[in-house]
Amino acid sequence: MNDIGEFTLLVALATAIYGCVAYVMAVRGNRIDLYLSADKTPLIVWGCVMISSICLWRAFLVNDFSLQYVWAYSNIELDTFYKIASFWGGQKGSLLFWTLLLTTYTVVVHFQNRKKNLRVVPYAMAVLLVIIIFFLFLINFSTNPFERIPLPPEDGRGLNPLLQNYWMVIHPPTLYLGYVGFTVPFAFAVAALISKNLDDGWIRVTRKWTLISWFFLCMGNLFGASWAYVELGWGGYWAWDPVENAAFMPLLIATAFLHSIMIQEKKDMMKVWNMSLILLTFVMTIFGTFITRSGLIQSVHTFDEATLGYYFLAFLFVILFACMALIIVRLPLLKSENQLDSFLSRESSFLFNNLLLLGIAFATFWGTIFPIISEAVRGIKITVGPPFYNQVNVPIGLALLALVGIGPVIAWRRATLSNLKKNFLKPLAAAFITAIALLPVIPLGSRVENYTYIAFILCAFVMTCILLEFYKGTASRMGLHEESMLGALTTVTWRNKRRYGGYIVHIGVVLIFAGIAGSQAYGTHIEKHLKPGETFKIRGYDITYEKLVAVEATSVKTRVIAQLQVERNGSHYWTARPEKEFYKGQNQPVSEVDVLSTWKEDLYMILADFREDESATIKVYVNPMVSWMWTGGWIIAFGTMISMWPDRLEQRRRLERFRREESLFPSPAQE
Amino acid sequence: MKLLKTIFSIFIVAGFIASAPVVTNAGSLLQDLENALMCKCDDKCGKVLVNCTCSTSDKTRAKFSKMLDSGLTVEQIIKSQVDEYGETVLSAPTKFGFNLTAWVMPFMALIAGGVGIRKILSTWVGKNQPEDAQGKSEEKPATPGKYSKRLQDELDGIEL
Repeated sequence: MNDIGEFTLLVALATAIYGCVAYVMAVRGNRIDLYLSADKTPLIVWGCVMISSICLWRAFLVNDFSLQYVWAYSNIELDTFYKIASFWGGQKGSLLFWTLLLTTYTVVVHFQNRKKNLRVVPYAMAVLLVIIIFFLFLINFSTNPFERIPLPPEDGRGLNPLLQNYWMVIHPPTLYLGYVGFTVPFAFAVAALISKNLDDGWIRVTRKWTLISWFFLCMGNLFGASWAYVELGWGGYWAWDPVENAAFMPLLIATAFLHSIMIQEKKDMMKVWNMSLILLTFVMTIFGTFITRSGLIQSVHTFDEATLGYYFLAFLFVILFACMALIIVRLPLLKSENQLDSFLSRESSFLFNNLLLLGIAFATFWGTIFPIISEAVRGIKITVGPPFYNQVNVPIGLALLALVGIGPVIAWRRATLSNLKKNFLKPLAAAFITAIALLPVIPLGSRVENYTYIAFILCAFVMTCILLEFYKGTASRMGLHEESMLGALTTVTWRNKRRYGGYIVHIGVVLIFAGIAGSQAYGTHIEKHLKPGETFKIRGYDITYEKLVAVEATSVKTRVIAQLQVERNGSHYWTARPEKEFYKGQNQPVSEVDVLSTWKEDLYMILADFREDESATIKVYVNPMVSWMWTGGWIIAFGTMISMWPDRLEQRRRLERFRREESLFPSPAQE
Repeated sequence: MKLLKTIFSIFIVAGFIASAPVVTNAGSLLQDLENALMCKCDDKCGKVLVNCTCSTSDKTRAKFSKMLDSGLTVEQIIKSQVDEYGETVLSAPTKFGFNLTAWVMPFMALIAGGVGIRKILSTWVGKNQPEDAQGKSEEKPATPGKYSKRLQDELDGIEL
């Protein structure tokens, strides 16, 4: 089976090269025979990569330690659940998994578009195949997951204990689905540039792909934060690690793109800008891969055998320069009749939203690469950690939060004073009331506390803006159709999925901002070394350490569990069981925290240390509003689903608009 | 415009509040150190001390507690760590010399971008000026009276 896996990877590479050349030659030479031949290649490449992946999964499931990769990331005792996930646990498998997702996306694109725009689609397929060729080249000749061990050992080294968490099955695939997904809009953008079809056709074809990729990347980031929160045992969820940054940057640029394409769709403006944004988003996904696989920047996420950095760097520069050259060559065709009626309009608010999103992306990028720059210029390696990102990004983030409220409410074309008054008076009043109400309740003084105060005020402002939009739509419908409030709300949302779905996403964003602000400013923690029966207090909780229990979970894993009783207002509130897990052959034990999460705050317990006399060091964090972030994430997911849902009404409206435009500009024959 | 000025003023005041000096109490000195320094464990975990849970980080915390108890200030402890490990032990670049570029560059880029957008907007809005000059000014619509106000309100509410 391993031979089959290895062979099919070679076949996939050869087919992809043929397909890429055939697509280009078919469209250049206007040869339908070549096109029909090339048209089969995406499916063949996908089939080969799928067979190869199945072979690798099989090797994990049957404990085939003759494969070096299986030996390095699995062992006999590993749960089947994690054996499946071990596939993407290391560099070799993760590249194959990336390729599997990319070829799957390519096949879907192929079936969606094979009978559509034949001037653009062949080029898009060729671009997708070029990227597949790059990954297949790496897998075949540099980092082959089917590399053998001459004398296979009886057992494997096992999966890193930190990765033995259910998030390992969810987080990497979600993130990869996002990363890989941006290849599709990128391919169509490049195809539009090559084929000179530079209307908004490529945006309409790829809008849903962009949304899907954005959604997965967003959820991937949140899942990663959630994983770090429950697994790493430091009470936090985001550490501005270079690899976290690498996933965050394309998300920001893609968010800017999703907003600015609205202006192109509505006013046929900003073609160069949108083209640049989607190209930059893709480049950033490759940059993220470069960081993880180069070993150049220190990160907890870096793969053990991070040796592929130069390949990715070369690929990144080739793409960057090729895209820049393409845009420059096509500049005359990308010029649009840009004009605005007023400074005060939704269009300009979107421009500022783009500026702020790119500002945060740039600050994050700059912080990520600054250690390399410092070493090159001064010969001194420095660290750029959370204090830098918090100080630079938080003020920009707050300005962005304000725009989340302003952008969707301010009028298109021209906002008059009456419009501003009508839309912003109530939200400003809500912000003002929040500011007054919070003043005596929350502490002020430190920078974090002050920022948090401003964040809460802005959250109130934005939330009121959005809720008023829902209220206006619902009230208007209730007045016209005598529907119930819930019915009217549902109909209004369902009939304008894109608009109201977007508002729902914004509600999620507000909750995430509030959660981050609350948890960063008002969290507290305490560390106590206790003997059984001893009690301590934190934020109104009385915590009693009861006992320590050791459990032989498997032949390779021993769990040491501390049991603590938590009382609140004199009555029993929760029994906490934080633990440490010891894996055979691993130096460091793994902390498994125990968390009681409520809407108000999380009570987060860690067993930091223990001794033979059953005394234990317990660390307790009280993290306010953390669950707001996770709830915000699910609301974003819900809003994105609504936005993405097929909308026949919108399609009909668009068709009618095109017809109207056609009648306004009659064809030469009609003249 | 008054409304805009009010919003602008709120942001200025908010900015002043946010940039107020950090008040540090004695209890948070260790936490300040944990935030300012990286963990220097053998695994090169690359984590800020406050985020690290390895055994080295526990020992380092204990060492810092003793140093604070002995009367050393946060600055002195940080300096001793920089002397021992170099600048890489700091969790953020210093704010002088070449490292200042790390702090300044993002805001420079943001300001440059803002100026660029302002220029672009001026050009784009300028293209519509002749039309405005013919009497379609923002605050004085050509059709006076309650109908023009109603029309304006309706136009404001339209989602194109």
